[in-house]
Amino acid sequence: MSIPGIHLTCIGRGNYLLEPLRSLNIQNSGQIMQDVVALLQQEKARRLYYDLNGLPVIDPAYYDWLDKLARICLTVNIKMICINMQPTAAFTLSSFLAGKPAFATALGVPD
Amino acid sequence: MTQEFSEKLVTLFSLKIGNISGQLEETGREFFCADNKLMDEDEIADLSCEFVNLIVGLLSAKDPNKRTSPQFHALEMFFSGFAQRMLMRGGNVEDVVRYAQQLQYSLITALESDSGIIFTQSRSVLLYFAQLFDELIMAIFRTYLGERERTLKAQEAELRETSTPITEIWDGVLTLPIIGTLDSSRTMLVMEALLNRIAKDHARAVVMDLTGVKNIDSQVSHHLIQMVRAVQLMGADAIITGIHPEIARALVSLNIDLTGITTRASLSDGLKEAFLRMGIQVSHKAV
Repeated sequence: MSIPGIHLTCIGRGNYLLEPLRSLNIQNSGQIMQDVVALLQQEKARRLYYDLNGLPVIDPAYYDWLDKLARICLTVNIKMICINMQPTAAFTLSSFLAGKPAFATALGVPD
Repeated sequence: MTQEFSEKLVTLFSLKIGNISGQLEETGREFFCADNKLMDEDEIADLSCEFVNLIVGLLSAKDPNKRTSPQFHALEMFFSGFAQRMLMRGGNVEDVVRYAQQLQYSLITALESDSGIIFTQSRSVLLYFAQLFDELIMAIFRTYLGERERTLKAQEAELRETSTPITEIWDGVLTLPIIGTLDSSRTMLVMEALLNRIAKDHARAVVMDLTGVKNIDSQVSHHLIQMVRAVQLMGADAIITGIHPEIARALVSLNIDLTGITTRASLSDGLKEAFLRMGIQVSHKAV
């Protein structure tokens, strides 16, 4: 299933890797989230690894997108884990983050 | 100084250049070849020759009084570069300034003896040279201050690096002992270094030891918590150790939310916790 601006790969054992593309338009987040969750549900996914590798900065708008996606995933019992967060992104995000985010974080996909 | 006079000086300089630079060399030798051995004879000769050429260039300019002319800029750069060279070789600014002053005197004396004109009786010539050398001495001071500032910055950077050593104490475990007073700029620098190190080493746990921190204010405590959150966002575990009672009291009175932040009494407890989380078991060797 093709979702605009997103590359979704099954990496085994119910784990999926989401790589956002440059063309990802978070203004249209509602439809994208719906499509992602539909696909993950269909494939019986348990975890969604969101790769933040190419993202140097996370602003409030992008955080809002991540948080909403994580919460919508949780409603269907899928855990979202953000991986490869860049130091600059961690720095900016920590400067405005009030509480605990809905997603977990990890250095990368566990071996 | 009139254009006519300037032309006369240029002619004199051009004709007697070898002679004048020879006399100026003596001044250079006196300052830089005597005890300190900052320059050798050839360098002094080149220096004097270049200086005279630049002076001739300035006096030949359309307006020798103009401080924005390329000729004046070249002379200024000459002194600036010379001062930089001397300071790098361990000379002091006082010697360089005194040399410039002496050079002014020697230049006038050399010109007087070569031309037969008594410059000391000509107010305009003396004033011109006095103003010119004042500007050149300013250039020396600017260079000195620039060098000093660079040195201080380098020392500051070195001190910062050594005062917050981030060490990989085990595969994937970083320790960061923080010693001394934490201010906002230092906390930011530590955070930047730490986050980059986590990314570079793929560290899974960071133990931040505050045993050496005696004071903390509201802003810094927020930065500290921000540092912990940033570490967690990168996917590593953050453990704070060695919080003094005064710091603990300050954190509580400042209403700092420590929810989700792991703290341990000492660095050794922090390391044990990090190892435990990573599934590493350290035990005594069986006898």
